[in-house]
Amino acid sequence: MNYNLNELSAQQQKTSAYASVKKLFVLITTEKRNIILAFTAIIVNSILLLLSPLLIGHAVDAYISKGNYHGLLSVSAILLCMYLLALITGYAQTKLMGGVGQRTLFILRNALFNKLQLLPIAFFNENKAGDLISRLNNDTDKISQFFSQSLIQFMGNLVTMIGAGVFLLIINIKLGSAALAPALLILIFTLALSPWVKRKNARNLKTVGGMSAEIQESLNNFRVIVAFNRRDYFRKRFTQANNDNYQTAIGASIANNIFLPVYSLFYSAAQLVVLSFGIYLIASGEFSIGLLVSYLAYTTNFYNPLRQLATLWSNFQVAMAGWDRISQILSMESNLTDLHENANLTSRSATVLSFRDVCFAYPNGHEILHHINLDLEAGKTYALVGPTGGGKTTTASLIARLYDPTEGTVLLNGRDIRTYNADERTKKIGFILQEPFLFTGTVRDNLLYGNEQLLKSTNEELEAEVKNAHMEKLLSIFERGLDTPVSSSGDSLSLGQKQLIAFMRAVLRDPEILILDEASANIDTVTEQLLSEILDQLPETTTRVIIAHRLNTIEKADEIFFVNSGNIIRAGSLDDAVNMLMQGKRAS
Amino acid sequence: MQKEMRLTIANCHFKNIFVIPMSKSPQDIKIEKKSPGIFTILKSYRYLIILLVFLALLSNGLNLLLPKIIADGIDAYTQGHFNYKPIIAEFSIAALLVFVFTYLQTLIQTYTSERAARDIRTRLTEKISYFNYSDLERANPSKLLTYLTADVDSIKLFVSQAVVSISSSVFVIIGASILMLNINWKLALCVMAIIPVIGIAFFIIIKKVRTLFKRSREVIDWLNKVINESILGASLIRVVNAQQLEYGKFLDANTRAKSFGFSILRLFAGLIPVIVFTANMAALTILVLGGHYVIVGSMSLGNFSAFNSYLAMLIFPILVIGFMSNIIAQSTASYERINDVLNAPDAASTGTIEAQLKGNVRLTDVTLKYGQKPVLKNISLDIHSGSRIAIIGPTTAGKTQLLYLLTGLVKPASGSIKFDGYAIDVYDQESFYSQIGFVFQDSIVFNMSIRENIGFSETATDNSLKKAIETAELKDFIDNLPDGLNTIVSERGSSLSGGQKQRIMLARALAVNPQILLLDDFTARIDQNTERKILKNVQNNYPGLTLISVTQKISAVEQYDQIVLLTDGEIVATGKHDELMKTSTDYIQIFNSQRSTTNYEL
Repeated sequence: MNYNLNELSAQQQKTSAYASVKKLFVLITTEKRNIILAFTAIIVNSILLLLSPLLIGHAVDAYISKGNYHGLLSVSAILLCMYLLALITGYAQTKLMGGVGQRTLFILRNALFNKLQLLPIAFFNENKAGDLISRLNNDTDKISQFFSQSLIQFMGNLVTMIGAGVFLLIINIKLGSAALAPALLILIFTLALSPWVKRKNARNLKTVGGMSAEIQESLNNFRVIVAFNRRDYFRKRFTQANNDNYQTAIGASIANNIFLPVYSLFYSAAQLVVLSFGIYLIASGEFSIGLLVSYLAYTTNFYNPLRQLATLWSNFQVAMAGWDRISQILSMESNLTDLHENANLTSRSATVLSFRDVCFAYPNGHEILHHINLDLEAGKTYALVGPTGGGKTTTASLIARLYDPTEGTVLLNGRDIRTYNADERTKKIGFILQEPFLFTGTVRDNLLYGNEQLLKSTNEELEAEVKNAHMEKLLSIFERGLDTPVSSSGDSLSLGQKQLIAFMRAVLRDPEILILDEASANIDTVTEQLLSEILDQLPETTTRVIIAHRLNTIEKADEIFFVNSGNIIRAGSLDDAVNMLMQGKRAS
Repeated sequence: MQKEMRLTIANCHFKNIFVIPMSKSPQDIKIEKKSPGIFTILKSYRYLIILLVFLALLSNGLNLLLPKIIADGIDAYTQGHFNYKPIIAEFSIAALLVFVFTYLQTLIQTYTSERAARDIRTRLTEKISYFNYSDLERANPSKLLTYLTADVDSIKLFVSQAVVSISSSVFVIIGASILMLNINWKLALCVMAIIPVIGIAFFIIIKKVRTLFKRSREVIDWLNKVINESILGASLIRVVNAQQLEYGKFLDANTRAKSFGFSILRLFAGLIPVIVFTANMAALTILVLGGHYVIVGSMSLGNFSAFNSYLAMLIFPILVIGFMSNIIAQSTASYERINDVLNAPDAASTGTIEAQLKGNVRLTDVTLKYGQKPVLKNISLDIHSGSRIAIIGPTTAGKTQLLYLLTGLVKPASGSIKFDGYAIDVYDQESFYSQIGFVFQDSIVFNMSIRENIGFSETATDNSLKKAIETAELKDFIDNLPDGLNTIVSERGSSLSGGQKQRIMLARALAVNPQILLLDDFTARIDQNTERKILKNVQNNYPGLTLISVTQKISAVEQYDQIVLLTDGEIVATGKHDELMKTSTDYIQIFNSQRSTTNYEL
């Protein structure tokens, strides 16, 4: 599956947009009752507001023109009651429709985040973090603005507009048609322009995403920019992004703002038509002056909501552009699905993990691993050595099922690894990643991250656990122990310290297979000896897979594999492995 | 006319208006003299702003005329001398002009505000680009990102809306009032009574909403943090199967966000009907009182209908002024934040010496602090030109910080750092950095081609690039790529192995033909054989280079001219390998921890 959001094929994009709109409707089916109630309130409210000009017109014709003050007062009393009722329906419509909007937004955000969690790591490698963050934060924000503010007006205006249109036609079909004629032009104008407006906004959102990605990359790597004296590069790249954004923002803004003046112009035209044609009709005896006053009010009641729909329409287009970008994410499907066959076929043999004819290639890349066969036995320690870029990390990632092989199968306890669900699999396999990641919080939070067994333990209990695993010396490196604050960014901890936390985190999970991908690369050798002792004292059945460049970290391995150019060779002894390394064996 | 009220809500994006938490109460804002900051921004665009106000007043003035034309038409008809031509002509011309003026206005608004936004962003990044590394860490990159996006947006809104909207709103309120007073002052006063009523109701609610928005913004920030960490930590989350946990965190934040959304909704659900009702009461007054005046003959029917139109015109501007006071408050806060960055003292002016570095480095009594915590204490060190120095020591010893000091990325709290006898500060930065190569511990690969990543500095030439690539043993790797040097590597460099990334970093440092090369744990992710070759290449291809290397492996540095053992921010021992083996027990301990494999190394 192509996970690059910026390089989706036209076909993929089309189907995704359609499917995701459908998905949105499925998501909000629970809102049906509220939507019906809200519409009832909106309709009642609109009818009340629409009736009042009619009453006022009637009052002008029947009472004011005739000098009947008493009749005028009784009409006023009716109007007062209507206004009081409108107070209630007005409250109800905002409350109900707004509620629908808020809940829809809530559901949408949850669905999006949930999808993000379901997607495999390949998705994150294919897309820039800055761009993803912009999609999730900025684009949902645009949709949120639409749902929390515009939706209520959108619905209310639509109903009022239709109501006013109906009144205009009922009162006098000729004058009504004339008054509504400009609206037809507006409709054509809007339909013709909408794709253009949406395109402009989509382009703008894209450059906004590009700009924040640019800022993020530069600011996060500022050290390099300073040390290589490329401040001008930072300025140049940013100026480019800034200018791109400026261009598209102006384009989007011009597109968004074109509606209102045009709509106002047509509104004026409609007023003029009503006035002149109305007076003509009065002259020919088909119409009354009172009705003309109400008619002018209805024209306002028709065209003002329409004018607001213009503003809302561009909001809607912005939201739709955001929605498209989000639905691209929603349309992604994980290619790491669980298989359900042979679920109980577990061999109790000593082999915990095997590769059967495994090949692997990253999307659009060369094949990294060629037809690998490999067996790992329980309780043994394996080392993967070899030159950089040889495929060690890829092998480890396949064991942890961060990816699926492009050919062949990986077996865990004799069963296709794809038949395990994520929970079972991750309990069995611990993986200390090459680049440690910490969440903002404390050392404790990070040690217990994703560890359900120990999550509820007190600090004392956790310290006991740490001691049990012989890791108390590692913990003591942190100034305030478990409560040492940690942040996901910045330099509060050194790389070595981050690696220590990642190590402890993995050991505390007590996995059957523990993979260390250069897990101690930036840790000094004295502390590293400690790590090695800790590994030795893991339960007898724990299988260790160690990737390292320092030979002392792997000297205790039961078996050493030499990984190079996509092939894995059993090295026999440490001497053999060293020889292979020394010979710089490069099959390519 | 009741529908006019909705215009408020539709036209103004509450969200935009309240996005930025404010440091000032609205009372402060009203007295503009107290915070003149934000208005100074308009200076550069004053002609455009004046033009904008002018256009806005013109179109609004004409808009005020339209109901009058219709009223006159109705009256003319009732009095029996209605004439189509002048009315149609007058009305059409007015409407067309309104169209032209408003459209011009939106064009200029767009142009002015986008240009202002671009200019501030440029100024801000210009400033940031001269920051020291420590300035940037203090300013906090993620905050700067917010300044450059959300805060700039809020200023953009101010430039495009505030002055124009307030002046045209005041104009319309005054204009409509005068026209009404002209027609019938008693009725006009009754109708105008709604101005304070709506104004006060609006003000009270908006004040409440503002605090809610401020707090909901914090929740949104929290929500975004959960999203960011879940993207950056995606691998870890999948390895420990913590998706559910992340979802739980998100659900928490999202639920809070929803409840804030509902609180705000409740306030508006109450406010809108109240405003509508007040306006309706005014309409009723016009009907009853105005109807009375028509009946007794002191007002014409046309004027009666014009009154209704003016009422509709009145309400919107009252609300706009309320909204604009918020925009001003917000953008003032935003502008203050941005100004703090802009007005930060310039990084200590770079020196002027452009001398060729020999590579003699002397640190005297250098102390480095992070906050109150000393990271390095009284470090004194002498490095001779062309020598090779190793810095070893446990995690958290301060090794990386020492390299940061040597490259001027951080400034010492006390003590001096001298290159060839001159303090680091007196060197011209450009010339200084073009002679220093720094390989960072963590791999930083930019989202661009390998050529640009390696030839990152401008001083890199094709030749130096070639030499650097060969030295870093990258030639075979690059030659095997389909696009060679032009291969784009992704942001987090996921398509490259850890070792490849680090060798690219090395090539980047060598491409400037440095006099001094600093390696931070460079060999950590590179296999022994490649490492050996690379270090030999460096010696052969870059003779006379001063090498300062932070490392864990003693075996690689046994031959070095000086080994510095750093522990807890202090130098505990320094000397050649043989000397340290005799004098330092700490060193021996480290050596022993590595001894077991020394046999295997040729």
